[in-house]
Amino acid sequence: MSGDEEEEWGRRRRRIAGDPVTAALSADLLALILDRVAAARDRKAWRLVSRGFLRAEALHRRALRPLRRDALPRLLRRFPALELLDLSACPALDDASLAAAALGGAGRRLRSVCLARASGVGWRGLEAAAVADAAGLRELLLDKCLGVTDVGLAKVAVGCPALDRLSVKWCLEISDIGIDLLAKKCPDLRSLDISYIKVTNESLRSISSLRKLEDLAMVGCYFIDDDGMRILSRGCNSFQSIDVSRCENVSSGGLASLLEGHHLLRSINARDCVSELTSCFLSKLSVISNTLNILKLDGFQLSVSALKIIGMSCKNLVEIGLGKCKGVTDEGISELVANCAELRTINLVCCHLLTDDALFSIANNCKKVECLGLESCSLITEKGLDQLTICCSSVKELDLTDCNVNDAGLKCMSRCSELTALKLGLCASISDEGLAYIGSNCEKLQELDLYRCTAVTDNGLAAIAAGCKSLKRLNLCYCTQISDTGMKHLSCLEELTDLELRGLVRVTSSGITSLAMGCKSLVKLELKRCYSVDDAGLWALARYSENLRQLTISYCPVTGLGLCNLLGTLRCLQDVKLVHLSWVSIEGFELALRASCGRLKKLKLLSGLQEVLSPELLQMLQSRGCRIRWVDKPLVFKG
Amino acid sequence: MDPTNRRPVYENSSNMVDPSGNFNPNQLYSQFDSGNLCFDSRMKQPLLEFPASFDNPTIQRIESAPFVNNQAMNWDPRAMLTNLSFLEQKIHQLQDLIRSIITDEAQFSVQPNELAAQQQLVTADLTCIIIQLISTAGTLLPSVKNTIVANSPPIQQLASIIGSTSSSGSNGASHQNKDFSSEGQTNKEYEDMLRDLSENGIEGIDPIQVEDQEVKDSEDGGADGENLPPGSYEVLQLEKEEILAPHTHFCSICGKGFKRDANLRMHMRGHGDEYKTPAALAKPTKEASSEPVLVKRYSCPFIGCKRNKEHKKFHPLKTILCVKNHYKRTHCDKRYTCSRCNTKKFSVIADLKTHEKHCGRDKWLCSCGTTFSRKDKLFGHVALFQGHTPALPSEETKVKEINKVEGVSTKSVEHQDVLDIKALDNDREYFSPMNFDSFNFGGLDEFPRTAFDPSESSFLFLPPGSCGFDQKNGEN
Repeated sequence: MSGDEEEEWGRRRRRIAGDPVTAALSADLLALILDRVAAARDRKAWRLVSRGFLRAEALHRRALRPLRRDALPRLLRRFPALELLDLSACPALDDASLAAAALGGAGRRLRSVCLARASGVGWRGLEAAAVADAAGLRELLLDKCLGVTDVGLAKVAVGCPALDRLSVKWCLEISDIGIDLLAKKCPDLRSLDISYIKVTNESLRSISSLRKLEDLAMVGCYFIDDDGMRILSRGCNSFQSIDVSRCENVSSGGLASLLEGHHLLRSINARDCVSELTSCFLSKLSVISNTLNILKLDGFQLSVSALKIIGMSCKNLVEIGLGKCKGVTDEGISELVANCAELRTINLVCCHLLTDDALFSIANNCKKVECLGLESCSLITEKGLDQLTICCSSVKELDLTDCNVNDAGLKCMSRCSELTALKLGLCASISDEGLAYIGSNCEKLQELDLYRCTAVTDNGLAAIAAGCKSLKRLNLCYCTQISDTGMKHLSCLEELTDLELRGLVRVTSSGITSLAMGCKSLVKLELKRCYSVDDAGLWALARYSENLRQLTISYCPVTGLGLCNLLGTLRCLQDVKLVHLSWVSIEGFELALRASCGRLKKLKLLSGLQEVLSPELLQMLQSRGCRIRWVDKPLVFKG
Repeated sequence: MDPTNRRPVYENSSNMVDPSGNFNPNQLYSQFDSGNLCFDSRMKQPLLEFPASFDNPTIQRIESAPFVNNQAMNWDPRAMLTNLSFLEQKIHQLQDLIRSIITDEAQFSVQPNELAAQQQLVTADLTCIIIQLISTAGTLLPSVKNTIVANSPPIQQLASIIGSTSSSGSNGASHQNKDFSSEGQTNKEYEDMLRDLSENGIEGIDPIQVEDQEVKDSEDGGADGENLPPGSYEVLQLEKEEILAPHTHFCSICGKGFKRDANLRMHMRGHGDEYKTPAALAKPTKEASSEPVLVKRYSCPFIGCKRNKEHKKFHPLKTILCVKNHYKRTHCDKRYTCSRCNTKKFSVIADLKTHEKHCGRDKWLCSCGTTFSRKDKLFGHVALFQGHTPALPSEETKVKEINKVEGVSTKSVEHQDVLDIKALDNDREYFSPMNFDSFNFGGLDEFPRTAFDPSESSFLFLPPGSCGFDQKNGEN
């Protein structure tokens, strides 16, 4: 902290002392109040009350997700009570910055650190972090930290012996040796994710000694096979959940032996693992019939009898995944659900053979069903949905993408007042009428997907915007009838974070302006092929959408000026797709990218620009952690 | 085999007996080659071997008797008595023979050829006595089965020993035998050679008296893993100066020293045409290798060292090179410092070169400062100790190296094997031609042969004058 800053803080402290509100409410009281203020928006409002409130919030803050590494040490000092630190959004996070952060925040109470995709972090950074957080660290997520090797893992294992949850997913440099050391040094591990790393059965041998291990994920570990499963079955873990999806060498025989050793398993995920389910696995299922809650068998070949056995053996199933399973028929589903009254989540994506009969049996047996994936089950009609929504009023998530649902079907769905997510992509027959039903009844809707629902117009959006105030994610791609009016309707959705408007040619800059002014929470915006959005739209976004982090404006007729302003102003913007901006000159790109001040993390550009942009700029971007994806398409200028 | 070339074997065996005249059969037999000996470790007595080339059928005949006895396994006092009387008879015969030789010598000047023939007779008789004695004693040992492969003292073998044994001695069986010491050109020549040896600092090359006859099982593996019972080999001891001498081969004319005798031979060409003949330029003949010779083992001159023959648990050194390396490593300053790490020091330059090949490759460093050449070893170490963590000296190369290491690790395993072999073979650094120059040791070019032919090694350190005595003989 520089001298000026300290002085500033000193002044603030003195002001706090003189602040009448703060004088009346002690810090403890403020903290107690803050315990009940959870939403980010409310927190922000709180911070704006006074300096005293700002300070109280800073002292109370538990979680932080910084976007820039430079600010890290200062932030860590400012929020002394932090417990959860998510650094996955920091571009170019490297050992030095992590070490500086760790030094700055000595004596942390951090319990959880997420370093996902921090490919610059190696063992030094981890050592610093591990040393600074000492034994307190419980959770560490190192997903896709490509620089982390066995040595880094050893640093973590030695420095954080109390580690409870660790993910080394995609840390491709980690080998059996590191896992072995981890197993020896962190005996308290409860959850471990070794997905996609090149470990063999030897690692499983080491892991099998972790007594407290409950949750093991090893997605896509190609070197693990049935022998590994047998090792695990003989191990002394207390497994509750195992994920062996995409382990191509694990057969149902291996899974069966796993079941033999662990009778308390609650969750098995064997997605895309083997193609056939043998009877030996099915017969072993009865062993864990009482505990098994979650069974994901996506991609298997499942006969009616197999589904029947599953239904008979696992009466307590809460979730079943049968996506892309071949051979799943109405009969199979009725046999399965006959005994599973507890089912809440059923994934039947791409089970093309299913008809309304399957929905009938689900509706009649599984009254508690909440989440139903029916994507591409094109034989389903409104009759089935009618039966389902009558019987199962608690449905929360429905995926009906590509199911030819019509307005009548939507009318049925509107009975489900608990609905939070509704996916109606490619249901071209949906019109404003149907959306009006949804808007009138589904107040809790947070996610709506209307991808290519070409019949939807501004009126439909008006109904949705009026009824579903808590909508967060909305997909309107290629709903070409939507115009600026629709955008004006949407502008009342204050909580909207994700909005996709790809190919809405009628939407102009004025529509975008109203949207930007209204939807303050917007984080992700897609404007690809919105041919009518020009600089004015970008100016509005730059002016109002302060939280925007991800933006696609490919093919938009914007100029260098608008782009420059946008990239220079938006401080959270990290991911920009700028393909085919034919009106932006090379100088425009150059200036705009320089204006971004190295805040960008991901950038998509035409490969033609690679030659013409100045090498220093590209170097600067890369050194600041920006990954540029070059699209191999011809460069066109219209300027 | 030409008898004239034979050495006075009888005298040789008498040398084994200590000067006091007490006959000590164990000691005697212990001098014989046990290289091919089928030796039962439980048997407290070293045995002799019957070479296939032995050409005296009578001895074989006699020898068959104890075999029968032996197979019977039960101790038969009558058979024992028979054996002993046979021995007595034989000794008397021998005494008569030797007396006749003495008288002959007093009256006529004896031709060397005749003398040699007599010698052979004596030797054969003595051999017979020895065998009989051993087998008789063997019947007393219940555990001995067919291990009593009686050995005739191989004449040629003893002949080669004679060069390294002191000349005077007494014979327990036939008392003092002055004839041999006083007679014969050959004997004189040996004495010359011995003098040469001592002049060149090779003193104390004498058969040591093995005091402790009890062979402990644990010590059976005496000479570095090979199962040589103490006493079954000859123990030689070089002096410190000789060990540390930079040159081992010296020009007999100008005195220049060489590390290798091949170099010396090349040098000798400059001293005259007689050194240019193919015979003179050829390597010292390999003939000796075809003849079984007593195994030689070496003792370190440092008193108190386990490799010193006085040590209770003496472990002999296998070759002269081992002696040199052992002495330098254990009892000398470590003069050579690795220029790369500046920490590791060595006294044998070959060790330094070996280290330099790996220096810097030990990149797996623990926080405690220990380095490892392999990652799994480091991680095993870290797992073992509380608070230790891996620490790497440089990070830049880290990720690149990680990939390499996978490749290297297998390589290093291979290398490790090589090193192990090296250790096993006790410093036969000739594995790597690079190290040749670093040796102070002259007979290096011959060294590989010593592995298969230990007899050679005894000549390696001989100064050229004596070394070439075969040639001299030829010239004479």
